[in-house]
Amino acid sequence: MSLKPLLPYLVLAAAVVLTGLLVDNFYALQVLIFIGINTLLALGLNMLMGYAGQISLGHAAFYGLGAYASGVLTVHCQWSPWPALAVALALAAAVAWLVGLPTLRLSGYYLGMGTLGFGMIVFIVFREGGALTGGASGLVGIPPLTLGGVDLSDPQRYFFLVWTVVLGFMLLCRRLIDSRVGRALRAIHDSEQAARAVGVDTHRFKLQVFVLSAVMAALGGFLYAHLIGFISPESFNFMVSVRLVTMVVIGGMASVWGALLGAGLLTLLPEWLHAFADFEMIVYGAILIGVMIFLPQGLTRGLIDAYERLRRQAPGISSAP
Amino acid sequence: MRMNDCDARRPASPALLEVEGVFKCFGGVQALTDISFEVAPGRIHGLIGPNGAGKTTLFNLVSGVFRPDRGGIRFQGRAIDGRPSHERVRQGIARTFQNVELFGSMSVLENVLVGRHVRTRCGFLGAMTRLPWVGREERAAREAAWRLLEFVGLAGQAMTTSRELPFGWQRLLEIARALAAEPRLLLLDEPAAGLNAVESERLGDLILQIRERGVTVLLVEHDMGLTMRVCDRIVVLDQGRLLAQGTPRQIQCHPQVLAAYLGGAVCPG
Repeated sequence: MSLKPLLPYLVLAAAVVLTGLLVDNFYALQVLIFIGINTLLALGLNMLMGYAGQISLGHAAFYGLGAYASGVLTVHCQWSPWPALAVALALAAAVAWLVGLPTLRLSGYYLGMGTLGFGMIVFIVFREGGALTGGASGLVGIPPLTLGGVDLSDPQRYFFLVWTVVLGFMLLCRRLIDSRVGRALRAIHDSEQAARAVGVDTHRFKLQVFVLSAVMAALGGFLYAHLIGFISPESFNFMVSVRLVTMVVIGGMASVWGALLGAGLLTLLPEWLHAFADFEMIVYGAILIGVMIFLPQGLTRGLIDAYERLRRQAPGISSAP
Repeated sequence: MRMNDCDARRPASPALLEVEGVFKCFGGVQALTDISFEVAPGRIHGLIGPNGAGKTTLFNLVSGVFRPDRGGIRFQGRAIDGRPSHERVRQGIARTFQNVELFGSMSVLENVLVGRHVRTRCGFLGAMTRLPWVGREERAAREAAWRLLEFVGLAGQAMTTSRELPFGWQRLLEIARALAAEPRLLLLDEPAAGLNAVESERLGDLILQIRERGVTVLLVEHDMGLTMRVCDRIVVLDQGRLLAQGTPRQIQCHPQVLAAYLGGAVCPG
């Protein structure tokens, strides 16, 4: 097999290694870890939205399920985080399957409403969970991760853990897209009627990709919970779901790299915009509107188009008298 | 001419598709009333009738979009009522649409590859692990897709985005995509609509070649020249009722058909 399609991933991997080795600023590493976690979430949601064309306005619920399941098991039951992770992922998969069974028969706005309602229910469960979830004040004392005796609480090590997971999932998603499954998902996006007519079990594929995106979100939640050591319902509310959708749209639908760009931009923007203090949200909104007006296909497509334009112009300039 | 007559020589073999006393009504409109006919394997069957006669409704019943209110449909001797569309494709019924339903954002080749869906089996885990059998399956699917593109004459456009194809080629692509499922029965819903005379002529040749591949064809078509040229048997619907069935010659001479549909065309011979 040719290595050329792998090249961008190797470049990213090299960038990750270099960054991890060179950056020892705690704050910078923390932001980079958050970008990684958000990339994982956006990547999963992009499989659902960008490829299969199904919207979810409740994805923060799965993110929260991963965080809370692992948090509750490690804090209250003194489980080690790794078996807790297995339970968290299985729980997210089971819940996604149950929720998807009826809601994925819906489409468009109705699917949006269905997932929105689900997200709100889960948020309320977190907030009203009493001693189990810690209620509105949250769950404290979630232990840091260790792997084979290596303490991963060191931000540099956590950075490598998170970005290894992200790179792995980027490659897995790429493989999925370039397969019979990916084609079936894109076919559903283009025309559900035609997809059924060529023999795609549309309901089953939508359900499977929904479960996949939920599991990826739960994994993100697990990584978040054991990084911060503290979780509260507000980290998984409706606005977080909306932010995830925005990452996918801004980065570029149906693009693995779009997830990375969207997550990167939407994680960094609030950090940069602290300087604007009270005007933060206005500047934030203006940037998003600007991106959508000038790069309606998202950052990835927009950047590729800009590059192509430059390349086309370059010979013209050199041959000019 | 020889092909049209061969039907009369041979006794009917066991039917591939049996439509038995089918009724279908939408709201207050009786779309189909007591329709019964059989489709013999290896033939090209025409389904004609004025607009609103119920042809597309009948297609939708056979391909599983709707269920009949009464009556039944059997494919290869087995009742298929209530089976979802995707299962019927697996069993061997493929279709095209009156208004061409391609996967617009995907390339010509990818459209045909999606058509291979029911003849391949790689799932989520297979795609992610990329075990050796997955690679073999993918290569075989691509080879089959390329052969089909050559068959319909679109190999030169394989990498074009399908929505950018001229309309006539989109029709051909839709046929290639349907054939990729290796159907025993191919339902073509007005494949000549929107084609010019030359394209229609080529389409007729293609439909005859499809029969040569052993695929039975059920054809809804308004282009009478094409229908009479390629069909071995014709079923005529009018206002949801079965008006007549027979060879093209019989249909052309059928007094009721002439009255209701052909508007007094002259019977040859």
